[in-house]
Amino acid sequence: MEFHVLYRPSHSLAVCNLNPNETVRAEAGAMVSMTRNINVVAAAKNPADGGGLKRLFKGLKRMALGGESFFTNTYTAMNQPGHVSFAPSLTGDMIVHQVQPGEQLLIQGSSYVAAPDSVTIDTKFQGFKGLFSGETLFFLSATGQGPVLMNAFGAIETIDLDGEMVVDTGHIVAFTAGIKYSVVKASKGWISSYLSGEGLVLRLQGRGRMYVQSRNPSEFGATVGRMLPPREN
Amino acid sequence: MQHQIEFGPSSAWLKVQLAPNETIQAEAGAMVRHTSGLQIDTRLNAGRKAGLGAKLKAFFAAIARKFLGGETMFVNDFHGPQGGELVLAPGTSGQIMHQLLDGQRKLFIQASAYLASTGDVDTKLRFGGLKSMFGGEGLVLQECTGQGDVWINSYGGITEVPINGSFVVDTGHIVAFEGNNLNFKLRSAGSSGGFSLKSFLFSGEGLVCEFTGTGRVWIQSRNLNALVSWISPFLR
Repeated sequence: MEFHVLYRPSHSLAVCNLNPNETVRAEAGAMVSMTRNINVVAAAKNPADGGGLKRLFKGLKRMALGGESFFTNTYTAMNQPGHVSFAPSLTGDMIVHQVQPGEQLLIQGSSYVAAPDSVTIDTKFQGFKGLFSGETLFFLSATGQGPVLMNAFGAIETIDLDGEMVVDTGHIVAFTAGIKYSVVKASKGWISSYLSGEGLVLRLQGRGRMYVQSRNPSEFGATVGRMLPPREN
Repeated sequence: MQHQIEFGPSSAWLKVQLAPNETIQAEAGAMVRHTSGLQIDTRLNAGRKAGLGAKLKAFFAAIARKFLGGETMFVNDFHGPQGGELVLAPGTSGQIMHQLLDGQRKLFIQASAYLASTGDVDTKLRFGGLKSMFGGEGLVLQECTGQGDVWINSYGGITEVPINGSFVVDTGHIVAFEGNNLNFKLRSAGSSGGFSLKSFLFSGEGLVCEFTGTGRVWIQSRNLNALVSWISPFLR
């Protein structure tokens, strides 16, 4: 299985080539087109989510914190090779990270697009909800082996970190677990952090790879949102 | 100060390398990332050399800025004893341009186009006349003077147009302009001068800005008001 990303960086489209009987799992709503032999299972069970109530709880948690779709779908190429293409909602780039055995990639909830079943996507990771800044942060964890497709708002910068970096919560895409994170105030005090417009930021420390996006969805929402007419009713 | 503008024209961001104790002033909320050791000081968008009276005046100007100019009331100063790297980005998709002010230049920028500045660059709020407030299509400008760097963000790509004579730009597409004997006048697009309510309401062009004299204007290829008008009917 392989991903090709076309039309980078603004209007990226990912094409996923599947060998006979191979499966790719993707965020619901991301599919653009597919060959005739693709079998789609909507709201497919994620093996990492466990069964029954546990799965429902995890789905709800993901939805509440991450803005991530409640369900993922699986796409399987029946008996012959096939392909599926995926696109995100926002204008921006997509990138493929190859997860290595023993490595863990933490993905910001809404940046995850697709991965094969050889990569386990787990929602056990802690999220965060800023009380008055309105920022939410939720990480999915990817382990196993294989490619993970992620999307961004704007362009993506790849950084090999060895040391420390402070990143705005709205600009983080993903980072490997060799990097430890803590959520801290952008400025010294709570009031100045709020007034600075930065609110809470991530302090990333350690060694590993990180991906940063050049636009912040909440900033864009705030810029356009304040110009919109009030909703009726 | 060393700087790079990357990922333009659609997703541009500004990367600066701060020397020890060097300061850059940025629009609130623009920070993407920075190396450790930099600190943020938040203050009222009031200009650096303001006294008490001027600060009071600046407070009201800052409020006016927030509500009329779509600009935030606060700005952030980034600096650190060892310096470091800082990345800044605007809210909308688009380009960033750099201008160097030498103490002689007087640059007018659309208030929401301000991203960052250095040195003793001072920004003062200016209105393009009372009628510019009509219909929310107003032209709220920041007059930038002093010495230092200014970074300006746009919605869409930026075109620089030299003016010698006269030139007309839709107010929503103006990024910045300058010229020692450049005058500007706001009018509705359909009329040849003055203000016509009919052409303002029905031409679909809203207000335009007519420049006369010599100088230059920077225009952006997209208009945020147009995006908002387009989205609004879809909202329920």
